[in-house]
Amino acid sequence: MTKPRLPPVIELHNLKKRFGIGDAEHYALDGMDLTIKKGEFIAIMGPSGCGKTTLLNILGLLDRSTGGEYKLDGQEVSTIGPRRQARIRSHQIGFIFQSFNLISRLSVIENVALPLTYKGITRTKRLQLASDMLHNFHLGEREYYMPYQLSGGQTQRVAIARALVNEPSIILADEPTGNLDSHASHVIMQELSDLHKRGNTIIMVTHNPRLTSYASRVITMIDGHVDTDTMILPELVKTIAKRPLNGTKKPKRKKRAAKKKEPA
Amino acid sequence: MRFLLLNHIQNAYQSLRSNRMRSNLTMLGVTIGVASITTILALSAGASKVVSDQVDALGGNIAVIRPGASPDDPLQNLTQPKIGREYAASTLTEGDLALVRSINGVSAAAPMMILSGTVKADQTAPDNTPIVATTPEFSDISGLEVRTGQFIDDVINPDTAVVGVQLSINIFGTEDSIGKTLTIRGKSFTVVGILTRMDDPINYNQVDFDTAVIVSLYNGKLLNQGVAQIQQINIKSTSVSDLSQVIIDANKALLSSHNNENDFTILSGDQISRPTSQLFYAIAGVSAAVAGISLLVGGIGIMNIMLVSVAERTREIGIRKALGATNSDIAAQFIIESLAIGIGGGISGYIIGYIFAFGISTFLTFDPVINWQIAAIALFISLIVGTFFGLYPAIRAARKDPIDSLREYN
Repeated sequence: MTKPRLPPVIELHNLKKRFGIGDAEHYALDGMDLTIKKGEFIAIMGPSGCGKTTLLNILGLLDRSTGGEYKLDGQEVSTIGPRRQARIRSHQIGFIFQSFNLISRLSVIENVALPLTYKGITRTKRLQLASDMLHNFHLGEREYYMPYQLSGGQTQRVAIARALVNEPSIILADEPTGNLDSHASHVIMQELSDLHKRGNTIIMVTHNPRLTSYASRVITMIDGHVDTDTMILPELVKTIAKRPLNGTKKPKRKKRAAKKKEPA
Repeated sequence: MRFLLLNHIQNAYQSLRSNRMRSNLTMLGVTIGVASITTILALSAGASKVVSDQVDALGGNIAVIRPGASPDDPLQNLTQPKIGREYAASTLTEGDLALVRSINGVSAAAPMMILSGTVKADQTAPDNTPIVATTPEFSDISGLEVRTGQFIDDVINPDTAVVGVQLSINIFGTEDSIGKTLTIRGKSFTVVGILTRMDDPINYNQVDFDTAVIVSLYNGKLLNQGVAQIQQINIKSTSVSDLSQVIIDANKALLSSHNNENDFTILSGDQISRPTSQLFYAIAGVSAAVAGISLLVGGIGIMNIMLVSVAERTREIGIRKALGATNSDIAAQFIIESLAIGIGGGISGYIIGYIFAFGISTFLTFDPVINWQIAAIALFISLIVGTFFGLYPAIRAARKDPIDSLREYN
């Protein structure tokens, strides 16, 4: 296990994000300190309005902080121009949204191929890569469906396929299962967990405490800063990850796994 | 980066196709504008070509003398038509004609005296039937061909006339009216010749010979209270190289006989057709301005639709930005879309414009001209309209904040 010795991918120091001016001034992030290493699966929890999504947007270079430091791969982000930032988003960051955010007038395969467009890959190559990616997610038969013809779980899997098609080093997920039922949520979390095992860095925002069991590190936030920061034992992550994909009696199994642990 | 342009084009194609009705209607605005401009340009080029073709066809050895000094300002040429001169006595006289004929290098010179009056036979000819009084040389200089019979002549009975084929049909009801009698201002003339159909009412003589009647200068004077009222003297030089010298000599001779008063104009080559083509260009310019307004409206239509399209796709813009699109990628996507509308409208407008031009030309005596300049103008205009009116929506799209865009519900 060389993981802990890897250099930090993301380093935040006293990060601040202010909204509004004057009377309406409000800090969504207020002195956030965080270091994330390569290969971590981080679940960020916290009450509504504690700045989780704002944090994710800043980490994904969609938003800019108003104070403090954010180093991505050792480079201070505020010194990077908008064009380079777009390039980083294209090459290194994959987004997964709560509301999936597929483009409704494009077919599934075109949606997945979309990020490759901005890398300057030819159409044929793009569709080929997208098709491969969809096959990985068992969506090979749905390539030419339109997004509205898919179920929520399938849609989110398409969105994950899209986030991964660029082979990003960081995956940012904003409540990826927020719009899904528990079965679909489980499938999605399995996928994310598989990705984590393959060495991807995943940062996930969630409301659901049960989902934190998939993560290697759980951070709770309150009022724009870190409240608690818990590492989860890798063994536990492994046992959970081993469960079959299509297990319908997920909650029971989970309890059993927990019971087994307790006496030991 | 190499393939991005291609991507944007595919993208624009896709999004235009997904809103087919809307795209086509927007395109229609540009189509109408470009079509009207194409029609106007094609027809006006055709009209001015008719005049210049005639001058070319006559060879480079024709010059005409017209009464009155030529206005230097081309605009004055247009705004002061010859109406004013109709009431004034012409400054050209029979003496001038004799003078010109005597110049070295002049092979023929013919006067033109254009009268108006009632021409009658079985039926009365239309009011504006031109009565041209001239000398026999005229047919040679102006290239008039006689279909049957002969041109007016010095030796035959002076009370004879040559009629245009259309006039013959109008007043006698037949093309073959040789030997029949017509009356001009109450005086009888026998038809001795019928002209071949020319089909060009626009020519440097400013007379449509298909509907004209030609009589001798002697009779012309009789019809005009014995005064020769010469509107134009046509000169033909012995060879093309002589023409410039002939013009200089004629100018000198006429100046000295007119007491150094510059009250005449000698025109040759392009100059002959210039007032006519200038008139056409002015008409074309005015109608092109009207067409330009419709183009402006079409452009505003593009801008309108593009703004709607940007607003509709706010969320898509957010997604694309999150997936790595730069501001210029987004701007390019929308610019290319509006450019596609512009070019599409331009191409269909060009085609429809020519269909229109050819349709209209069946009622006219000349054909529209097809040349690369008009195609280039049509394409250029549509490019400009597409870019100019697409620019603002594209910039708006590019400047959208990704987070706000993603929050949008649609």
